[in-house]
Amino acid sequence: MSVYKHEYRAYEGRLTPAWSRIAVLVRYGMAEAWSSRITIGLLTLSMLPIVVYLVLIFLANNPIARAVIMRGSSAILSINATFFLRVLISQCWLALVLTAWIAPRLVSYDLADNALPILLSHPVSRVGYVVGKFIALVSYLSLATWIPCLLLYAYQGYASAAPWMGANLRIAIGVLIGCGLWITLLSILGLALSSWVKWRMMATGIIFAAVFVPAGIGGIIGAILRTKWGLLLNLPVMMTQIWQRLLGVSAFNRIGAGLPNVAMAGALLLLGLVCVFMLNARIRAREVVRG
Amino acid sequence: MSSKKSVGFLASILEQPWGLWTLQARRLARIEVRRNMLSWKATWIYFLAFIPTCIIFIHLLVDRHTTTALTEDTNVLAGIMQFYYIRLGVFFGCLGIFSRLIRGEMVERSLHFYLLAPVRREVLLLAKFIAGSISAIALFAAAVLADFVLMYVGFGPAGQEYIFHGPGLGQLEAYLGIMVLACLGYGAVFLLLSMMFKNPMPAAMLVMGWEAINPVMPSLLQKISVASYLRHLMPITIPGDGIFALLTVQTEPVSAGVAVLGLLLLVGVVLAYSCVRIRRLEIRYTTE
Repeated sequence: MSVYKHEYRAYEGRLTPAWSRIAVLVRYGMAEAWSSRITIGLLTLSMLPIVVYLVLIFLANNPIARAVIMRGSSAILSINATFFLRVLISQCWLALVLTAWIAPRLVSYDLADNALPILLSHPVSRVGYVVGKFIALVSYLSLATWIPCLLLYAYQGYASAAPWMGANLRIAIGVLIGCGLWITLLSILGLALSSWVKWRMMATGIIFAAVFVPAGIGGIIGAILRTKWGLLLNLPVMMTQIWQRLLGVSAFNRIGAGLPNVAMAGALLLLGLVCVFMLNARIRAREVVRG
Repeated sequence: MSSKKSVGFLASILEQPWGLWTLQARRLARIEVRRNMLSWKATWIYFLAFIPTCIIFIHLLVDRHTTTALTEDTNVLAGIMQFYYIRLGVFFGCLGIFSRLIRGEMVERSLHFYLLAPVRREVLLLAKFIAGSISAIALFAAAVLADFVLMYVGFGPAGQEYIFHGPGLGQLEAYLGIMVLACLGYGAVFLLLSMMFKNPMPAAMLVMGWEAINPVMPSLLQKISVASYLRHLMPITIPGDGIFALLTVQTEPVSAGVAVLGLLLLVGVVLAYSCVRIRRLEIRYTTE
């Protein structure tokens, strides 16, 4: 066949389903995250509190250990909603550290090396790209948050002499929703900030700053304008309140107790929308050449 | 014999081309200051520095300033300095400015231009540090000054009385001094971290954690902390409440002079070690 007869023809073979294309991004995203030894180190570090909590549950449920160490008193260590709130808080703050390390690895390299035009020239949409990275990050954060928390819950149910799991189902649901909310928020925030900062090292710092600096600004608003609404900028306080309410613990932390659920939900939703807007503005198949 | 040696050492120091080094440092610093303060990338540092100013300005416009609120507002201003500027604003501002100076050049693959120029590496490092310090001090000191003025201007004659015939000016002086020392202290630490690590941010977060847990450390370890020195210089100390209690540094009382000298000594030691490190600095752009 002569050369001029080689015309463009659309591919007529079998197409892969759209979800499986996202799965490729997830697979490569996870491989990128796990390629660093620091990632493995951080995950190991985030398991250390779980080991401590596991030992505490064992002690609380073992009559001999209770008799020897706690002299038979069960008041010192009771496994209840407050205990699981402490587990939840410690794991969720460790998840912030993990996010600050991993999220920039997932996005910044693609942007810094101008790889987005190449990636998006494949049959993957911009939404698919973000969803792929999001799932990779959420999967990783799940390993440090709700999975170990629910394993502790299951172990407590197994170790407790009295029927415990059914009576404390709210704890499991609260932990699941609380962790889910937090890791969703962290993932979208981490990806959005990483997409706006070209340097990975800066992205790591900015993820921390994005959580703590608005908290400080909220404190200033509250102190100067004499209003409680400044706390809506304080993510640590707001999330602690949400976790408390989900688990049904009222006397853990009083700061932010006056914030209504609707206001907190609105603030989180607004934050999520801002992140989506940031991602929409940055995740585009374009190359910027300066100089 | 020893006096002869010291005279010889002094003479060799005086023989160094100080004029040339000063000129080179001035040129390098000018480039860096322009880059730190006049580029659109620097807008977030302006945000960090001036966001409390904006809030105080709203307070000035919206709220009534009765004389009874003067003490309360003075405490609020002290809280802003103690909890926002030192713990968050200056910390993250200096982290951004100073970690860019050397590591940022490596990431942008432009550090070799400086290293190939006939400039001593120590001069390069100190010039960059001076430039970063000028940028950080100018921004945060201006912000503190604006905060102070806006906080008291609404009180009218009572505010003027407090500033010019009361403790106001002394407090302002202390706050400005604290900002200068905070910028120098955090700047030196972050400059060193940016030379030691490819990604200095995890180490910087450890520094943040260290500053937070420092009060429970033995007194010797408390000396390796920027915030603990600054705490002694605060004209008004606000006890931490709730989550801010975690950020409160409580150390044994030390005189202002000792605190300033201690912090400057810390800065000097960190900078000296940074000079040693930059002598041995090698660039491998492929690993960046």
